[in-house]
Amino acid sequence: MSGAFEKLLWHYQHRSAEALAQHKAGMPVVAFTSSMVPWELIRAAGCFPVLIGPDLDVLDKPTPLADSLMEPVFDSRIRAIFNDVLSGAWSFLRLLIVPRTSEPENKLYLYLREVTRQKLCDKQPPVHLYDLLHTRSSISRKYGIDRTKDLMQRLEGIAPISSKSLASAITESNAARAALRRLQKLRQGEVPRITGSNAHMITGALYFMNRAEYAKLVGEVCRECKSAKPLRGPRLLIKGMPLHHPRLHQALEAHGAVIVAEDDWWGSRAVEANVVPGRGVASIISAIFENYYLHTPSPRVLPAAAADRWFQDSVRRRIDGVVFYLPPEDDVYGWDYPRQRDFLQTSEIPSLLIREDAFCGLSAGANAQIRDFIQKIRRSRHAARV
Amino acid sequence: MPRASEKQLESTRASSEHQKTWFAELRRNVFDEKKPYAIAQADMPLELFHLLGVPVVSNQWWAAVVSAKQLSGYFFDALHAAGYHEGLCRYCSLSLASSISGDPAKAPWGGLPKPALLAARLTCDCIQRVFETWAASFGAEFIALDSPGATHLPPRWWELSRDRWRELYEPHRLDFMVAQFGVLIHALERISRIKFSPARLRSLMEGVNRQEEYFDEVRDLICSAPQTPVRMNEQVINVMNAQWHRGTDWAVSHARTFRDEVRHRVEQGIAAYPGEKLRLMWVGAGLWHDTDFYTAFEESLGAVFVWSMYLAFGPDGYIRYGLDDPLRALASRIVSMNEQLHNPPWANEWIVDQAKRHRIDGAVILVPENSRPSATGTFFIKHALENAGIPALEIWADMVDARRWDGASMRQRVAKFIETRVRRA
Repeated sequence: MSGAFEKLLWHYQHRSAEALAQHKAGMPVVAFTSSMVPWELIRAAGCFPVLIGPDLDVLDKPTPLADSLMEPVFDSRIRAIFNDVLSGAWSFLRLLIVPRTSEPENKLYLYLREVTRQKLCDKQPPVHLYDLLHTRSSISRKYGIDRTKDLMQRLEGIAPISSKSLASAITESNAARAALRRLQKLRQGEVPRITGSNAHMITGALYFMNRAEYAKLVGEVCRECKSAKPLRGPRLLIKGMPLHHPRLHQALEAHGAVIVAEDDWWGSRAVEANVVPGRGVASIISAIFENYYLHTPSPRVLPAAAADRWFQDSVRRRIDGVVFYLPPEDDVYGWDYPRQRDFLQTSEIPSLLIREDAFCGLSAGANAQIRDFIQKIRRSRHAARV
Repeated sequence: MPRASEKQLESTRASSEHQKTWFAELRRNVFDEKKPYAIAQADMPLELFHLLGVPVVSNQWWAAVVSAKQLSGYFFDALHAAGYHEGLCRYCSLSLASSISGDPAKAPWGGLPKPALLAARLTCDCIQRVFETWAASFGAEFIALDSPGATHLPPRWWELSRDRWRELYEPHRLDFMVAQFGVLIHALERISRIKFSPARLRSLMEGVNRQEEYFDEVRDLICSAPQTPVRMNEQVINVMNAQWHRGTDWAVSHARTFRDEVRHRVEQGIAAYPGEKLRLMWVGAGLWHDTDFYTAFEESLGAVFVWSMYLAFGPDGYIRYGLDDPLRALASRIVSMNEQLHNPPWANEWIVDQAKRHRIDGAVILVPENSRPSATGTFFIKHALENAGIPALEIWADMVDARRWDGASMRQRVAKFIETRVRRA
């Protein structure tokens, strides 16, 4: 792959690097802990928005600072974020925004507040809860708009936000969205021309970079991929716990699979529709809110029919099989598994359940299951052609 | 010395009898007369169900009953066989399991019949899944109340909750809860054909206040008596059976009777266990499959469990004065239950305060590894207790799933903790 890909990969792997560079250059940096926080609002306040990754090489390292305060029931990503913040690595932030995307994040917010209250860490940035709720009702929608206005007010404590700065941020973000949609087409088209693991890492880099540069680099990658060798393996979709690393993709690809989509915010659902702003700040805020409320995945979306819609639509579009990823630290997505498995059975789409942690490396048994699963799909595809 | 298993209070017998009678009546009404009922999470505004004449079964109460009948292993194994993995929450899903997996007829009293409505507050990320699955299996309606996050967190919340609840629980959160209550009320009105009346709610809320004031007196009696007059097990039975029916004539009357009996015991110098030398606190939900655990250290070590959240949370969590807007007051009772019991700073600050008031010598903290949302906040609680000079032991177990519970070794572990840390302290 080209220099553009290498640059994107570098940002995916060095997740805090650009934020630190921006900070050193004098730009205020505001971080968030998952994709539900409106990037455009932070940008419109003249700040550099960054997701707290954390870096891949941190994920399998001990988290001693977190361990004394955070129970092992928290997943490794939340624990690593907590440890990172306690270590002072993010003390340069002007603000850390925690959305109510999941209950562990809500608790992370409360733990960070408590650490400050008890003066257990003197290097912690200020924290803000973006209390966006995910039940699909007019009551939750109104509540969410009001909380978005609160967030804007908080950000205006850093720098004023105007309709002009909002429009500019939306343009920048929409360009990245458009680039990503082109990338998704290359994955999901008749003949995929980019591996799932590469596409997944390119997508993930979105959260750590300047979006104007990101759009440009992804555009270059897309142009190069058009002439790349077509990928011909069984087309798989990954469903389950969000994947902030590429190791499951790589394990599946080692057996000849082509990962064309994943139903999580690190992958195919990082962005969907553009933000379509109206006139005036209130209208723009409403448009930003709607985009995140309706299109960003969260384990708290209710009803399940709304949460399942993207998945059900996707598997109808030329998917040969689905891999459910429910590592041992999952305690949420497993509730959806029997329902979604039954849906696939009805649709005659094969599925495989992985219950191991792919980040730590899959066992020989799991690899054998993957191999058998992919061979079975190949055989049935072959039989269908014959 | 009194036997560990004996029920010492007449109130306890009356309370258990009432609950049995209530459930028999519910089943008669539901099966024979086809009257509607509801299933709800324990932290829902049960007051609205009472007010609008829709009998309600609490998910947690039913889970405790299934567990106490030693049926949790059977139903969880069946749930696992249906594709739900072993790492999923237990406490809130045992009742679901008893309805959708294995042979539902094996559940107590032949299992729960189809409700008219299921309702839950979305504190964790699992409960919407549990209730949606459950509702679909019954073909019943599910109403969810979403759970807005708390951002105003004064540590000594219990000093503000009775009179200054409007500011403590944040106006925007109360507005949101009241709006959601409107949806629930509409559904209950449709089911019962009874019209919601704010005046009747106010009256019920006044009843709840009286009930919790009696419990407050019981708590004061336990704090001030030389030895606890009532075991923790019996506190829980008396309090929780009344809480499920809070504000009703029976619940208020029962709370008063309980208070009178406890007061009489204190006046007569009657201790639950006269050999009490050490006072223990139980932090977390009850160990419903092994409630004898709570009396296991009396004879050998003179250690008596005197505190659990169930009694203490009544007065601190429920009383609301200034009921000019009773629906808003009810919203304030519901909106932060999770933060108060499980999250910093509210849970740790409250539990340390309770430990001091109750002259606690040592604390045992349940960390439920298979009910993860209930496991959070426990390290902050442990640190806070230890920093206050109260030895604390965390035990990893589940409140309803007995399959991995080794009662004998857990008793040994707690006994060692009492001998080596509590006695020395």
